[in-house]
Amino acid sequence: MAEITSREESKGYQDYEGNKKWLNAHYDPLASLYTFSQCIALSDINADGENKLIIADLGTGTYDMKLKVYRGTSLMSENAIIDLPTGVVTFYMDLTEPRTPAIAVASGSFIYIYKNLRPYFKFTLPSLPIDEKEESAWIQAKDDLIDVSVLREILDGLRSKGVILTVRSMKFLRLPPHELSTFVTLHKNSPLKMQTVVTCLETLKKSHSEDDAISCLVLGTEHLAIYILDPEAFTILTKIDIPAVPVFLSVNGLYDVDYRIVVACRNGAVYSLKRGSEVKKPVFQLSAQPVGLQRIGKNIVVACMDQTLQCYSTKGNKLWLIRMPADILTMEAMEDKQKGFKGVLVGIENHEVHVYRDKYLVNVIKTEDAVTGIKFGKFGREDSTLVMTTKGGSLLIKMLKRTAKFEEKDATTSSGPPASQQQKLNVPKKTKLFVDQTLRERNNCVVMHQQFQHDLYRIRLEAARNYAESLNKSLNPISTNPQEPLKLSVHVNGIGPMFKLIVQLQNTSLNSPSVGLFLTFHFDSSLYSVEKTLIPVPFLVPGLNYTFESYVECKSDKGISDTIKAYLCRRSSSTPIITGIINMPVSESIIVS
Amino acid sequence: MDPLFLAISLYRRRKLEECVELCTQLLDKNPYDQATWSLKTKALTEQVYVDEIEVDEEGISELMMDDNAIATVARPGTSFQRPATNSGGPSPNVRPTTQSGRPVTGFTRPGTQSGRPGTMEQALKTPRTAHTARPVTSASGRYASMLSTADGPFINVSRLNLNKYASRPNLAKTLFEYIFHHENDVRTALDLAAAATEAAQYKDWWWKVQIGKCYYRLGLFRDAEKQFKSALKQQETLDIYLYLCKVYVKLDQPLAAIEVYKEGLEKFAEESSLLTGIARIYEGLNDMENSIKFYKNVLKSDNMSVEAIASIATHYFYTDQPEVALKFYRRLLQMGVSNAEMYNNLGLCCFFAQQYDMVLTCFERALSLANDENVADVWYNIGHVALGIGDMSLAYQCFRLTLANNNDHAEAYNNLGVLEMKKGRIEQARAFFQASFNLTPHMFEPHFNFAILSDKIGDLQHSYNSVRRSLEAFPEHTDSKELFKVLREQFATL
Repeated sequence: MAEITSREESKGYQDYEGNKKWLNAHYDPLASLYTFSQCIALSDINADGENKLIIADLGTGTYDMKLKVYRGTSLMSENAIIDLPTGVVTFYMDLTEPRTPAIAVASGSFIYIYKNLRPYFKFTLPSLPIDEKEESAWIQAKDDLIDVSVLREILDGLRSKGVILTVRSMKFLRLPPHELSTFVTLHKNSPLKMQTVVTCLETLKKSHSEDDAISCLVLGTEHLAIYILDPEAFTILTKIDIPAVPVFLSVNGLYDVDYRIVVACRNGAVYSLKRGSEVKKPVFQLSAQPVGLQRIGKNIVVACMDQTLQCYSTKGNKLWLIRMPADILTMEAMEDKQKGFKGVLVGIENHEVHVYRDKYLVNVIKTEDAVTGIKFGKFGREDSTLVMTTKGGSLLIKMLKRTAKFEEKDATTSSGPPASQQQKLNVPKKTKLFVDQTLRERNNCVVMHQQFQHDLYRIRLEAARNYAESLNKSLNPISTNPQEPLKLSVHVNGIGPMFKLIVQLQNTSLNSPSVGLFLTFHFDSSLYSVEKTLIPVPFLVPGLNYTFESYVECKSDKGISDTIKAYLCRRSSSTPIITGIINMPVSESIIVS
Repeated sequence: MDPLFLAISLYRRRKLEECVELCTQLLDKNPYDQATWSLKTKALTEQVYVDEIEVDEEGISELMMDDNAIATVARPGTSFQRPATNSGGPSPNVRPTTQSGRPVTGFTRPGTQSGRPGTMEQALKTPRTAHTARPVTSASGRYASMLSTADGPFINVSRLNLNKYASRPNLAKTLFEYIFHHENDVRTALDLAAAATEAAQYKDWWWKVQIGKCYYRLGLFRDAEKQFKSALKQQETLDIYLYLCKVYVKLDQPLAAIEVYKEGLEKFAEESSLLTGIARIYEGLNDMENSIKFYKNVLKSDNMSVEAIASIATHYFYTDQPEVALKFYRRLLQMGVSNAEMYNNLGLCCFFAQQYDMVLTCFERALSLANDENVADVWYNIGHVALGIGDMSLAYQCFRLTLANNNDHAEAYNNLGVLEMKKGRIEQARAFFQASFNLTPHMFEPHFNFAILSDKIGDLQHSYNSVRRSLEAFPEHTDSKELFKVLREQFATL
């Protein structure tokens, strides 16, 4: 049912020019997949010549995490995952026939290996050394030598010194005070462990470069290290320390010969690691956090959070930068071997997927929702298939038409001045009248200037007089006296005969509060009666808005109205500090006739 | 002389009170004198008569409880609520807006002060803090029934046998007008009109128009439309076209109204009231080019139309041709329009057209003519002139005076804020801007200025929020967009 309606919906998108290069294979808006490009893989896991789609679904983010495998358009299997998955890859781990690749899912501090869709092995990252003081504090707590508040103080002190604490200590520090003791009694007997979390996962061919050669796993961790694992024995072959947290990896080469790993870190630094070399300086530093990293040929393409797609050479020289129309959500490489096409797919916030070859935009795919996960490759028996998952959880599968060609349109138009330069500005013509007037101005300049100056003095005098009068009467709603930085505004609500006066007072100074003030109203007592004629004003804290209210009743039904004045006064002086004038609306006691 | 003849003469010379007195004496002698009775009703009606077509202030309840609006989200350009954007309408950067966010018109008439408010609170607050307090309903906006005679009402409407009068067309018409205008009792008037039209076998167009007017007053616009259309079939008069258009405006169908006006123009070519109507509707739709085109057409047939001249002048002023605007305002002055607003506009035109010797003389005249309601605006404009010549202290005093005279002058608050910002008094400036955008949330200037101020002192979060509000009020504002971009970049970079 969902599919039928979805085809109807996507008709509009079919007309869009960019979408004509693709065939719609499948669209399921109700797939409820919550995943990213790193957690999608395409591989022939049953060795039957058909590639399956493997997706690690993040579920709700806290539970319901699943490893889903699609065969064609139907869901083939589902395996539960305990922690949030951060990466999925498939790789060949042995030479046994038939050649079936294994699936590796990185989740928490473990790598789960599935073979033939069955759990096969769990690799645990080595635990890290624990800070001595932290360990001793927990031992003391276990022996009841210190109580929970002291433990908390010690751990807090360690944290503020910059010591990396264990997960248990971090959790402990986060708890509210009344839960501390139960937490300690629950956990104090189990040994303290320092575990890290996998942030990214990739594969690296071991000694042969064929498609089905044995591969090593490469993974980055939260504790600033890159590990390379042996696929057969699951031992750590190499550990490389880097100065920042790795988030994206791009690997090529062979482990036994030579390899290069490009690592994009969370702080925007990009490092290049080679076999046997030490890491010192980043190859280049990005202007914003990376959201995707790909190596296309010899270039490194990075998508950044500031809506840009940037390209660097392996030596770190910036080659080009393109601004996107909206935020980039994901990026993936697109390689079509038959057509010899290499490019990147960029999923952006405004429901589009852009295809770039070098810096040229060659295709735009419009979708119903923002795409968060993209994979391009062989699916089923079709070589160039595009798998996309969206923010709303739908799954889209498109196939590239065999006849589709990607042409670079911008190559010719990008040179020369922009089109906006040719636009004419709408400047009105100068009229004859204007010319005449300028003539008059030129001929009588002296007289005009004198007259203007003369008038200016008069108006200055007039303004000063009125201003002085308003100061004397304190008619202003904002005080001019720097000693009394106060502001008053009055609103009337209601349609009558009862009205509500709402007076708002604000102390506009930075740090001098006002005290000893009161509000009072001046009105025609034959026309109005005010409920609170005197409102004492409390201590006014600078910057806050204080609201006071009073009811006013209109006594007359003759449809006349008057002004009411609100005065803010100090007890010691007879003149008000500031005044608000309210033009009362006509009372509506005579609506019903 | 025959007293009845004298009474008619008095009526003709508009000495209405004397006419009524004389008629009363005559009726005392002979209570069944139909001619005198009819004349007295006419005289009494004439005392309180207002033009139904022009004077029609919409009350708050009509605005808010309007269940006639057809589409809540109309297509742009087809409704007064959603005027077409970018249809050659003035940018708020150049032409200031009224309290409801519409470009100011050159001529104040009922309904130009504000469009339809979005919320009940806005509806209750905006017009009531302003100087022109809006009535709650249009019924209470009319004070016809306030006049009372010493010896009880002349006609006791509730005791009338309407059917009897309905069959006498010569009496019924004057009686209807008396009930409708003098007594302001629309229900009874409608009963009488319905009975009369039945008595006339639905052949009298005049009664149909009156029924339409009653329906219109009662808010039954679709019924009113039917009556007017039926009357139009029998007799084509100008009034009916104008009434019909009023109904369409009420129903928020500006395009249908224009259509009817154009139909009317085919019968009554070059009729200025029809042309003015079209121009007003285009103005309401923010389509200034067309509006001005029709105002110019009005002037071709009626070169004394104050509304057309003022609107064209305002248009020229805000499209950077103050010298042309000056000419139109001078024409108005020659025609005898002499008030504070007039001199204020002349002063501004002179200033921007660089005729400096006249500027302040005009403003002085404006100040002397101004009353409590518009003196604030005059001071505000003098403040602008002071800003133009760089006299900051005079500008400051003028804006302060504006506030002293009108506590809700949001523009003055905003300008004071800018002046304080220039002086480096951050806290004061901030308070002024806050006051300004609290008063009129639709203005983009205080939001933008507040954003700049916050940006300067490093409060990027506030700056970002303000600049977003500024862009909501005026999406094409380039400076806001620039600031928004810079802030976005600052938030994204490491």
